[in-house]
Amino acid sequence: MSEDTSPETTGAYHWIGKNVTKPDALEKALGATEYVGDMVVPGMLHAKILWAGAPHGVIRNIDTKDAARVPGVAAVLTASDVPGTNRYGLAVPDQRALADDKVRSAGDALALVAAEDEEAAEEAVAKIKVDLEPLRPILTYEDALDPMAPAIHEGGNVFQHTTVRKGDLEKGIEESDVIVENAYHTHRMDHVPMEPEAGLAYVDPSGVLNILVGTQYPYRDRRQIAPALDLAMNKVRVIQAPIGGGFGRKDDITAEIHVGLLALKTRRPVRLVYTREESLIANTKRHPMAMNFRTGARKDGLLTFLDGDIYGDTGAGVSLGAYVIKKAGIHATGPYDVPNIRVDTYTLYTNNLVSGAMRGFGVMQAAVAHESQMDQLAHRLGMSPLEFRIKNCLKPGLASSTGQLMNEGCGIEATLQRIKDYMSAHDLRFNRPHA
Amino acid sequence: MRQRYALRVNGETRETEAEPHESLLDVLRENLRLTGSKKGCNEAECGSCTVLLNGRPVVSCLVLVPDAVGRDIVTIEALAGDGTPHPVQRQMVEQGGVQCGYCTPGMIMSAYALLQENPHPTDEEIRFAISGNICRCTGYGKIVKAVRAAAEEVGRAAS
Ligand code: FES
Ligand code: FES
Repeated sequence: MSEDTSPETTGAYHWIGKNVTKPDALEKALGATEYVGDMVVPGMLHAKILWAGAPHGVIRNIDTKDAARVPGVAAVLTASDVPGTNRYGLAVPDQRALADDKVRSAGDALALVAAEDEEAAEEAVAKIKVDLEPLRPILTYEDALDPMAPAIHEGGNVFQHTTVRKGDLEKGIEESDVIVENAYHTHRMDHVPMEPEAGLAYVDPSGVLNILVGTQYPYRDRRQIAPALDLAMNKVRVIQAPIGGGFGRKDDITAEIHVGLLALKTRRPVRLVYTREESLIANTKRHPMAMNFRTGARKDGLLTFLDGDIYGDTGAGVSLGAYVIKKAGIHATGPYDVPNIRVDTYTLYTNNLVSGAMRGFGVMQAAVAHESQMDQLAHRLGMSPLEFRIKNCLKPGLASSTGQLMNEGCGIEATLQRIKDYMSAHDLRFNRPHA
Repeated sequence: MRQRYALRVNGETRETEAEPHESLLDVLRENLRLTGSKKGCNEAECGSCTVLLNGRPVVSCLVLVPDAVGRDIVTIEALAGDGTPHPVQRQMVEQGGVQCGYCTPGMIMSAYALLQENPHPTDEEIRFAISGNICRCTGYGKIVKAVRAAAEEVGRAAS
């Protein structure tokens, strides 16, 4: 046998295993890094947003007259002031920069104010009068699936239905010696990046709208900003500012269109900095999901089937929800070999806050369900939960739920084996005895 | 009503005008343009606005300007005032304790305050000292390591 000269054995990786300092770490440690909220430019106005604060309703009127009279106020804008489509969204443009016909979630922006200082902007926001005709709020999965419920968007409240099918479900059920069936719910969650959202915009002498923002994706931002504000793509420049944490949430539009619109209208630089409270009530969250799973196994410990439904609450906008929820369905079997599968996923519009990308992207919600099912099956079979997982994990040559062949496995077997070695070396046990 | 205040910041007396209900954090950031202290919550939850007041770490978003008058205020900007980063700053960089960096100045001020008072802290004491500083990125392990390494460095220099 030839000698193993792979970098894994020889330790000859260029970067792996080495301590590399981040190029921007020192300026951050010195406190010198300027995030958008730290930036000041001459002549800059301060922006504030009027949020809807109610989940669902028809907008009858927004009266900005008193707000515009507050000293120091440069602009008070509503949807009718938006020159472009007023729409944005990562998958489909179903979110409004400023709510026009309806309020679809409490985190919808109704009006924008730019003023000489934040206090004047706040005072003006407080003076805007909104006449809202309440509609039945769609807040639960049941509400969203109710055919009698009002549609939040044209096209109804079920945005997408996806399916995963593999093998023969009936056969899998027949072959099972134990079956566990459970309903799991995961909650909505905020990313809470330590830097609340912020943006700074100005129109430069060549007429280009420049927007400084701590974003994860400047080019995709630009593709959404330009049509919303009726600008040619080359008249929008998104400059990525230092980002004080994103975790998926700054994938979406945050402050970009609002500061951009205010800068266009006032022809002055405008800075918008969210408070923490605003950051919590607005922009995307992690999708809450309801998962009904039925999973079977044979006496010898092999999994037989998964029969499941996943309902994902994407709130009043899809954002990346259709992909997140579809992914939860694809990952519903986890890193395990399940020969017979039926999984359906539903991406549901509700009047809750919009959910979008967040670390794990749907896989973590699914893990809550499939790992709980694995524990319960192991318990019922009287097997160690670790042995049960080792037995069923995706080994080289097996295929995922969607038929992807694991040429080299997916690392799960080696990982579980290491856990096993560690536990036995340290005499560690599971805190729950097997049946 | 706006009033004049003389604040002693990083060893210098700085004159400024503010409403008495304004926070020290806002005055540092907006009036004096010392933006190293961050505003993560503005309600004493996150620690990103930590400065020293007479040597003690405080959340500056909860200190009203009049209460800071007559006290020594030290902000992150002073730590490398002579151009050399403080060992806590350098170790945060070297040990990977800095990711997005938004919590970093506040974190460093809490750690710096600890080492001023207790140059040989245990890991437990380090964790307690930074327990008011939330970091969403690092998971804290590398920050504790950085503070420990800085303490060793300061200890070596002193002996
Ligand atoms: S901003 Fe002061 S504790 Fe968060
Ligand atoms: S480094 Fe991002 S919050 Fe601490």
